[in-house]
Amino acid sequence: MTSNGTRWALLGATTVTALGVGAMAARRRRRHQPDRQDGWYVVRRGITVDRPMDAVVGFWTDRERLDRALAGWATLDQLDDNRWRCVASDAAAGGSEWRAELTVTGPGRLSWRVDEGPVPQQGHVDLLPAPQDRGTEIRAELRYRIGGPLRRALGLTRGDDPDQGLRDALRRIKSLIECGQMIDTRRDPSGRDHRQEAVTDQLREKLTTGGRA
Amino acid sequence: MRALCWEGVGKLAVRDVPEPRIRAEGDIIVKVRASSVCGSDLHLINGFLPAMREGDILGHEFMGEVVETGPGVRRLRVGDRVVVGSVVACGGCWYCRTEQYSLCDNSNPQPVFTEKLWGHSPAGILGYSHAAGGYSGSHAEYIRVPFGDVGAFTVPEGVPDDAVVFASDAMPTGWMAADFCGLKGGEVVAVWGAGGVGQMAARSAQILGAERVIVIDRLPERLATAADRLGVETVNYADTDVLEALREMTAGRGPDACIEAVGMEAHDVGPIYAYDKAKQTARLSTDRPTSVRQAIMACRKGGTVSIVGVYGGLVDKFPLGAAMNKALVLRMGQMHAQRYIPMLLDRLATGEIDPGYLATHPMSLEDGVRGYELFEKKQDACLRSVLHPAS
Repeated sequence: MTSNGTRWALLGATTVTALGVGAMAARRRRRHQPDRQDGWYVVRRGITVDRPMDAVVGFWTDRERLDRALAGWATLDQLDDNRWRCVASDAAAGGSEWRAELTVTGPGRLSWRVDEGPVPQQGHVDLLPAPQDRGTEIRAELRYRIGGPLRRALGLTRGDDPDQGLRDALRRIKSLIECGQMIDTRRDPSGRDHRQEAVTDQLREKLTTGGRA
Repeated sequence: MRALCWEGVGKLAVRDVPEPRIRAEGDIIVKVRASSVCGSDLHLINGFLPAMREGDILGHEFMGEVVETGPGVRRLRVGDRVVVGSVVACGGCWYCRTEQYSLCDNSNPQPVFTEKLWGHSPAGILGYSHAAGGYSGSHAEYIRVPFGDVGAFTVPEGVPDDAVVFASDAMPTGWMAADFCGLKGGEVVAVWGAGGVGQMAARSAQILGAERVIVIDRLPERLATAADRLGVETVNYADTDVLEALREMTAGRGPDACIEAVGMEAHDVGPIYAYDKAKQTARLSTDRPTSVRQAIMACRKGGTVSIVGVYGGLVDKFPLGAAMNKALVLRMGQMHAQRYIPMLLDRLATGEIDPGYLATHPMSLEDGVRGYELFEKKQDACLRSVLHPAS
């Protein structure tokens, strides 16, 4: 029969282990949380496009190319020399719509503010020459607000994570500039029935959305 | 159309599936004339490379005829007989510009899994699971090839389909393995694996200047074919201590370069192999790096170990101390198909490389399940089963 001493030792060891694991999980979670500033979550993401800065800027001013590139994802209307209105649909978030105003605020600098969308957000983008003839670095800083940890968690589960959206957008922009398209393998032939295809589409979405940019 | 689909771990079936359509300006549709099985398919079929879904069409090493082109295609025309690199490359990113096509930034539309697993996502690969982009494969009557101008190459007249098909994967993989060795002439090169890639690596090493090539495997018929077709020396690891044999064959130096063309399901003899296999079978580890370990231990001091066998995850008992203290150069990667294929087609046309003998078992698509069984179990001296969907 197990003695009381052994029971207490086991209980103690279990408690210490649980506390240790909990502390490690909390530390890991904190490391993956975005910075906080003045009530905003702040994330910074960057991507390198293998084109000189002129070509990256030129992509945004070539209206025909831009419309073709954004087809099925977003519309862009020019309001004046420096301002555009962008309406984007986010398939990952159940087709929710984002309306934003984009403003050119300087050479190689653009800012945006979402005025209609699931999550309030704003940010700015800087273009910088990449070292070693690697093209242009697109560096973005995003600020967004989701009230409270619970709402933030719920928002993330609905796919409303603006950070994820930003990473998607950066990858999309890079691909459109470098090769003129975002490759897509949905609806490629397979031996799946409709039910299996629907499940596979969910997997595709998980493997497509976000990424490191 | 008919296609060979993955139906779950260890299960394949030929099914009716929809035909592919042009989806982007640079797409082409290829009517598949020859599509080879490949050792890396076995990792997918057996569930060692992840993210396969029921109904996925297998196959990534193929050639055929262009039957439709997207409006942005400039270099190819309907009716062209082409071979297509297994790796999908956009042609527009830094990696493609520097001819590192298998590292393309834009051709894997589903990069999240590999980013988490490997830190970054390499290129997509046709018919190679959802981790590699979820592309439909070539064991089908037709296949959509994205970025057709970048990845498909017209093939010379007079070279049979069953030889050209290996310019899609086995030849460029073998060539890259030898290229990695940095041969200057007169070296001794050891090649682990006498399959299609290993034999192409051995031939490539000869062309690039190796004085002696030693091929290591356990299947006598494959070793005999390599010796007969390529004039290489052979070592059968099933009845010989490989490290001792290589040391003796090189008068104590060890091979100048060691090419590993086996991959994550390598075989060996002895208790360590049994332990590795048990762990992999129980999914406690992903890869069996038996031949990589041997290559590192066998390689001469300051030599090069070139790895083109496919690995997916983590390995243990990796002799990093040997690699570090012997100052070895380790090079590895999926092949940059688009860099090598035009040059290899020229060598095919002149007969300098003739991989046609690898196609030991040509057969119809409907026989594809049997083709994989023959290939996996190494029955009937099968080197490669090559499916002919158009026949």
